Amino acid sequence: MQIVSSGLSDVGRVRTNNEDSFRIVEPLNLFILSDGMGGEAHGEVASAMAVDVVNKYCAGDKEDSGATILEETPENWNSQTRRLRNAVAQANLQIFQAAQKNPEQRGMGATITTAWLKDSRLSIAHVGDSRAYLLRGGNLQQLTNDHSLVAEQVRRGLITPQQAEESEMQSVLLRALGAHPEVEIDVDETEIFPRDVLLLCSDGLTRMVTEPEIAGALQAETVPSAAAERLVALAKENGGIDNITVIVVRFEDESNKGWFSWMRRGAAKKN
Amino acid sequence: MAKLSLMFENKIVKEVPIGSRPVTIGRSPDNDLPVDNLAVSNYHARVYYEAGRLVVEDLDSLNGTFVNDLRVERATLHDGDAIWIGKHYIKVDATADAAIPWDTGRKAAAPKINETMVLDTKARREMLQQAAAMGERSQFASGRVRVATLVVLSGKVDGKEYTLTNKLTVIGKSPMATVRLKGWFKPKMAAQINQRDDGYYLGTGDKVPSVNGNPIPGTVRLNDGDLIEVCGVRMNFIFRE
Repeated sequence: MQIVSSGLSDVGRVRTNNEDSFRIVEPLNLFILSDGMGGEAHGEVASAMAVDVVNKYCAGDKEDSGATILEETPENWNSQTRRLRNAVAQANLQIFQAAQKNPEQRGMGATITTAWLKDSRLSIAHVGDSRAYLLRGGNLQQLTNDHSLVAEQVRRGLITPQQAEESEMQSVLLRALGAHPEVEIDVDETEIFPRDVLLLCSDGLTRMVTEPEIAGALQAETVPSAAAERLVALAKENGGIDNITVIVVRFEDESNKGWFSWMRRGAAKKN
Repeated sequence: MAKLSLMFENKIVKEVPIGSRPVTIGRSPDNDLPVDNLAVSNYHARVYYEAGRLVVEDLDSLNGTFVNDLRVERATLHDGDAIWIGKHYIKVDATADAAIPWDTGRKAAAPKINETMVLDTKARREMLQQAAAMGERSQFASGRVRVATLVVLSGKVDGKEYTLTNKLTVIGKSPMATVRLKGWFKPKMAAQINQRDDGYYLGTGDKVPSVNGNPIPGTVRLNDGDLIEVCGVRMNFIFRE
């Protein structure tokens, strides 16, 4: 599998500071996105910390320790998914401890959405309302469920998705990193096929841009950096009320690509 | 639904409707509209919907894509336009075009509360209790857990019943597919089911599945008892308690 990825973060049109953080760890095929909260500069601190801890934990060669004790290791996931989950548990603990130690950082927190590819297996771990989507065969599939009050109400059949999108309670999260020493983490595994496109994004995108618009932009721009720029531009055109962060990852069949470029070179020479 | 007609010397060679997937055009036979001519690149161009508009995009082809007389990299298409690729052209028919291949009712609304906040455990419990009390009549609020299940009625697959536990369930021949198809010439990824907040949605893969006998127009929400057919396999989608 050949992987091309690009990330972009923008402060938006209303806020003066960007509390989002993201990181693409190319050698690991690890993608991390976090949206911080907590006023002053503390949202930035929390999201940067979340990204950094997850990166270090996944890249580290020492076997899982510490965070695994917090909760029994789920049996049904592969070792990579368990490691990613533990990385997120570690990030939660460290943000929580930092907030306890520094009174001015009290109340800081962050969302996290992270994806890790090994062979063709994608592991996903997330807490909060930053989302992961997979565009496949023209269908935009949501790989995460928001941990927000309105999303929970939709899941319980109390309100419709339309009502959720118009609700005043959209910013109320049920789970975030840093609020408690332990946090419930959603994990999932999915198989990646050639030509799939993965999108990780903060709510600054999903509240401003509809899913058909997101699907359209990902289909129109086949180069990830161009797709990322277009998504951010759309969010800003539609209001840009919050910080906007996106990571776009395109998976291609390696053999096919090689053959293709060889054909192209041949064709270009003839002219 | 809009449709594309591949024309050569004023004769229709092939017609395809445009749904939620892009229509690909090129010399390679696996394109939706294959054009057998050396002046045409293997994967020459494609046509798809973007935000409700029909768009043509040249895929870095050697000899270019022309809309009417203009060479384009990307252009919005209108009813009656002709896309020229080599000596062939593709007629755009968007007359009956009201269908946008997605649930158009969904619209992103501006947030009212600007600062994100997390509820502490107590506030969270109270708020959810209130919410539950509000919707007591709802089937979800009573605390019953409903598990989505696919029950196989006929066809060659590796199981009789599948519980949909992942966000994304793949039906196909891939070794990692949840519902694994058996037999020759089956696609790796025939169809997929996405678990979202408000239910389960069936989407196309390399095949267009049918629900209750009707081929799906894009992504559709599944209801309890729906009959799904894809690649000769018939399955019931049901909720178990």
